[in-house]
Order: sequence, then C-alpha cells, then structure tokens
Amino acid sequence: MSEQKNTTKTTYHIPIGPIHPALKEPVYFEFEIDGERIVDVDVKLGHVHRAIEWTGMRRNPIQILYLAERICGICSFVHPMSFARAVENACDIEVPERADYLRVIHGELERICSHMLWAGVAAHEIGFDSVLFITWEMRERVLDLTEYLTGNRVTKAIMMIGGVRRDITSEHVPKIKETMNYLKKNFEKLRKIYLEDKTFKIRSMNCGILTYEDAMGLCAVGPTTRASGVKKDVRVDQAYAAYGDLDIDYMTPDILRGKTVGDVYDRIIVRLLEVKQSIELIEQCLDKIPSGDIVSEPKIPKLLAHVKKTAGEGIGRHEAPRGEVIHYVKFDGENEHPYTWKVRASTYANILPWIPMLKGEQIADIPIVAASTDPCMSCTNRVGVIKDGNTTQLTKEQLHKLSVQKTRRLMR
Amino acid sequence: MNAPKVKEQLTPEGIVKYFKDEFKTKIKSSNVKKHVEGSKKKEYYNIWIKIDKSIFKDVIKHLCDMTYPHLAVISGNDLKKDIELIYHFSLYFGKRYNEISLNISVDVPKSKLEIETICDWIPGALVTEREKQEMLGIKIIGIPDSRRLFLPDDWPEGVYPWRKDDKGLQKYIRNLHEVKK
Amino acid sequence: MRFSMLPQVFAQMFKKPWTNKFPAKYAPKNTTKFLEDVESGKAKINPPIKTPEGFRGKIQYDKDKCIGCKLCIKVCPCGAIEFKEKEKKIKIYLSRCCFCSQCNDVCPVNCLSMSDEFLLADADPYSKDLIVE
Repeated sequence: MSEQKNTTKTTYHIPIGPIHPALKEPVYFEFEIDGERIVDVDVKLGHVHRAIEWTGMRRNPIQILYLAERICGICSFVHPMSFARAVENACDIEVPERADYLRVIHGELERICSHMLWAGVAAHEIGFDSVLFITWEMRERVLDLTEYLTGNRVTKAIMMIGGVRRDITSEHVPKIKETMNYLKKNFEKLRKIYLEDKTFKIRSMNCGILTYEDAMGLCAVGPTTRASGVKKDVRVDQAYAAYGDLDIDYMTPDILRGKTVGDVYDRIIVRLLEVKQSIELIEQCLDKIPSGDIVSEPKIPKLLAHVKKTAGEGIGRHEAPRGEVIHYVKFDGENEHPYTWKVRASTYANILPWIPMLKGEQIADIPIVAASTDPCMSCTNRVGVIKDGNTTQLTKEQLHKLSVQKTRRLMR
Repeated sequence: MNAPKVKEQLTPEGIVKYFKDEFKTKIKSSNVKKHVEGSKKKEYYNIWIKIDKSIFKDVIKHLCDMTYPHLAVISGNDLKKDIELIYHFSLYFGKRYNEISLNISVDVPKSKLEIETICDWIPGALVTEREKQEMLGIKIIGIPDSRRLFLPDDWPEGVYPWRKDDKGLQKYIRNLHEVKK
Repeated sequence: MRFSMLPQVFAQMFKKPWTNKFPAKYAPKNTTKFLEDVESGKAKINPPIKTPEGFRGKIQYDKDKCIGCKLCIKVCPCGAIEFKEKEKKIKIYLSRCCFCSQCNDVCPVNCLSMSDEFLLADADPYSKDLIVE
C-alpha cells in the first residue's frame, strides 16, 4: 500500500479499431482512460475509402446508379434515390406521380429492414442473443417480400432516373398486405421486449447522453438527433416524392416517454416508433396510389442524350434509416459523365457526436454506445491495451465478453 | 450558438433580399428555384447564391443571426482558374413543410488557395473541412485539427484527387491486381 | 414486467427450427464423396427454397435475335460485356456481372433475359460455365 503513494497516476491510451464488432464502419478510436472511465476520445477515419466519387466522374449516369447502390449494403436504396433526385433536379426531369408513390413504398420497406437489423445487433452487444434471433426471424419475412417485389434481397436495382424500373401490380398487393399484418401483430411483442425488459433498461438508461445543444451544433442527423429532441427529418421538412400527401410527423421520444433525455434508451424508442410509422405509411400509400407511367422516359438513349445536352447543378436529399443523405451533381453540357459528384452519407455527420457521448463512460459501454448511433458497415475487431510498456491484445471475443459480463454484474 | 436576431421567418425571396441589403454588390448572383412533387403538388425551394471571397466570414455570421442553419456538406468544383466551394445549408427545419435549402458558393483563386474556417460558429463543419483540405489542396485558416481524414498516411504529397489539372490523379495509385495482394 | 423475454424463450423450446436444410441435414465431412453418393443414388440433396418470379439469376442470351447495336455494353456498370467484331455478337463474362439486369431493359429486340439459376460458384473465373455467348 505504501508504494502506491509515491507513484504518480497517469492515464492509459487505448486504440480501438480500425475494425471492431460494434462499429459497422472501420473507424479508429483512441481512448484516454483513467481506470475504467473514458477521459478523452480521438477519431480517425479513412480505412474503407474506395474512391467511389472519382470512379463515378468517369461513368454515365445509368452506370453510376449501380455504383451508388454499392456504397453501402444496408442502405442500398437511399443512394440511388438521392442520386436520381439530384440528376432530376439538375436536368429538370419530371417524375410521374405513380413513381413517387412506388419510391416511397420501397424506401419505407428498407427502413423497416434496417431498423430491425439494428435492433438485433444492439441486443447482441448487450449479450441478449435470444432477442437477436427473434428480431431477425421477423426481418426474414420482410426480406422475402423485398425479394418478391424486386428480384433480390439487398441490392434492389429498382431505381431509374425519372422513375422506377418495376411496377407493383394487383397480384403483388395481397402479399404486401399479408406481411404488414404479420408485422403489426408481432410489433407488440417486440415493443414489450425492448422497452420493458429490465436487462435493456439497466444497460441503456442514462448511458451515452447527447444534449440538445451538442446535437444542434455538431449537425447530427437521423434518429441520433431526434432522440435528443431536435426535430429534423427530411421527409417532414420538405415535401418530396409522395411524402407531401401522406400523414407523417417527427418521431421524438416524448411521444412515448413524456420527456427527452438523449441516451441510448431514447434511441431505441425512436427507432421502434419509426418502424410503426413505416408500416402505416406503406398502408397509406397502397390506398392512395394513382395509376399512370412508372418512368418519365422509357427509352434510355434519349434520356442519355438529354442529360448530355443539359448543363446545370442539383442536389438530392433523402431520409435514410440513419439520417439525411445528400448528393450533389454538376453537369457541364458537353459530356454524359458528370463534372462533379459529391456524396455525403449520414454516418459522416454522426461521427463527431461520438466524442461527447463517450466521455465519462466505462470501457464496457463502448460497444452499445457506438452501436446506438447505427454506423453503417460491419467489421471485425482488435483492441490493443498498453499497460506499462507491455502490449496485450484484446480480441473481438474478449471485448464482447466484457460487455456481457457487465450485464451479468448489474443483474445481481 | 447565440440566439438569432431576426425573429420572424423569411420567404425565399426575403432571404435573398436580406443578404443583398447587407452586402450589396459583393453578392454576385442569386437564383431561387421552386420544385413541385407528389399528387397534391406541394412546393419546396432551393436558393443558390454566389458571393465574393472577401465577405465570406461575414455572410456566415449574418446567416447565423437569422436562424441557426444545418450544414449538410461542402462540395468542391475545379473550374480552370479557381476552385469553387459550395456550402449546402438547410434552414427552418422543425416545422412541417417549412424547410428551405440554401447553397452558398465561393470562388477561391488557385493562386491563393485559402479560406477561413466556420468551425467557431458551426462546430460540426470540422469533418467536411478536413476532407476539402486533403482532396482539393485548399488551406483552411484557423481549423482546430488539420490532419488527414480519408487518405492514408503514405499518400504522396501534392496529389489532390478531385482536381482536374496536373495535380489531379490520372489513374489509380496502386492497383491490387498488379501488387498481388 | 421484469423479464418479458422469458415467455418467448419457453415458447421457442417447443417450436421446430425454421431453417431449410439445404443441401443436407448436417454438413458432409467429405464434399466430393457426398457428391459421388448423390450421383449413385445413395444420398439425396434437399432442394433449396423456390425463388420467386422475377428473380435475377444467371443471364440468358438469345444469339439469333441480337442485332449488334452495342447498347448493352454502354449501360453495363461492370464492363462485363465484350463485343465480338467479326460476328457482331456479344460475349458476357459472368464473373464480373453484378446481376442488375440493366442490359435486359435496354435491349431493343429483347434477346436477354434473367433465369432463376443462382448456384454459380466456380474456382476459375473464365471457365466455360461462367461465359455466356
């Protein structure tokens, strides 16, 4: 005991990343920790930079649609949608009304799939694997519906500049209604497990708090910022596609809880409320959808010739499951390929909020707090802990085990 | 974040007039575009304003006095003699069908590639300003953290991928099938 | 309720597994021997779940209808189609194809279509099974 009084106390530096279980995008964190508490955080990026924008500036707009689809696997509808809206904005192409409704239906289906995937992953980070399997079983039905409507479970290839590629006929409608009824019946089961089970409450309440001022100043987007009380949602703010005709509102936690704290529990609430909202929006669309064309220019060479002649710039925004996605496109009137193409995915804006959220938390909370903002791509992990000059490596299994052990400790 | 000074909400033409009243000729051009979508034909507006580089910081301060904006991203264009930076803002979010998109573009000459940072007013601009520094070679004065963001540490100096002149990239630096990884 | 997950866990213990056991109930220890057994009739492969209509599988090319307009080459995002100059027909490399079916939509004479075949794995990217011409 007496030796410890003479030594000076200093903080450790832990690097986490670039590949990690809870983070779905390879990100490199460096934590400065004091015992088990985090004192400071530093974030570095760039590990999966694939030069997509540079590649896109050498291809014509139809090829870029498929390149944009593969920017991210789980948000594979939002990038072609934003890109197509940016091109339509720049070249003054008008989209028929039926295509607007079809785009909304596919976008909301993808939102349901993405939020259920996230819910399962959040349960896995806490250590609650049975919930993971139940949630993903429900998600399988929605993926079956997607395969029936578009031909593939994930990379849908349904977007075209000026409309969509496939129609929803009267034969498809019964299967859509059957899946929606199945989801509505089982939604109550999910809500009870996530919001009332004691395990979730003790791990997620008052953990990873993002205040209202921080969320506004750091320009956070999506459910991360709505859970802190900021009312920001592109679907409600701007009446684009068919959202202007539908009954839609901001989903903030005070609808269910009465107050807004901005912790991980609030983010779970916001995402579950959005799943319910998406089911209602799809049903509203199926009732109101008008008849007509599904694409404004069916002949592709004419479309490409029109784009080649027009000079202009445009932006296209869409509300992805993770936040706002914006694409900027500029055409110079001489070539088919764009002069500039800039993509900003929603996780880009949600990186800086990690820093105020993680300060003051414990190491075992890192997976659940980082996963609660739903970063966008899955990876493995290796954590290096430097203690007095000896390096030990904590692998993915050990970090996950730390998180599970904390749950067991709190349950006693 | 100070409280905004202008109390009532302005229309798109009112916003353009607000900037033109303050800065007169330094606003080079402006354009208000209206878009209509959906069956009920609801409208939304995009405003494009081009300003002179000397008044840049004052314009941002003026904007924050009007209402606190949301910065989406900064995009960059390489025109032959200068680099054009476009700041994409969105204003008046929070109420239904109320949002207006504002795009402010600034021309920076290649002979003196510098511009001030807006991180003291909008802290969330840090990530996108760092990206412009490494992709276009533009120097941002006063940025709190000027390390590389996306490109790896062994990337050669002086090569800026988004430029279309000799400093740009003609082909990939390293092809995986050539390096046999 | 404190542990609202418990009733679900109990109910789950009495349900049948949902997985379709393709190709066999347990993974075979020796794959080539398993395939030989199937050929001779000693073992059986469980079929995969049927794909829905409109599934985008292997591409099929009707050579006689093709007019050589090269529109499919222009829109292919992967560069998977090659033009044979002398015959004025095309050659598709499946190892590069991303199954988007954009070439189907563009073709003016409808000579391309997608089948429902998806078991296409191979060791050599240029083998005969993976080139359509």
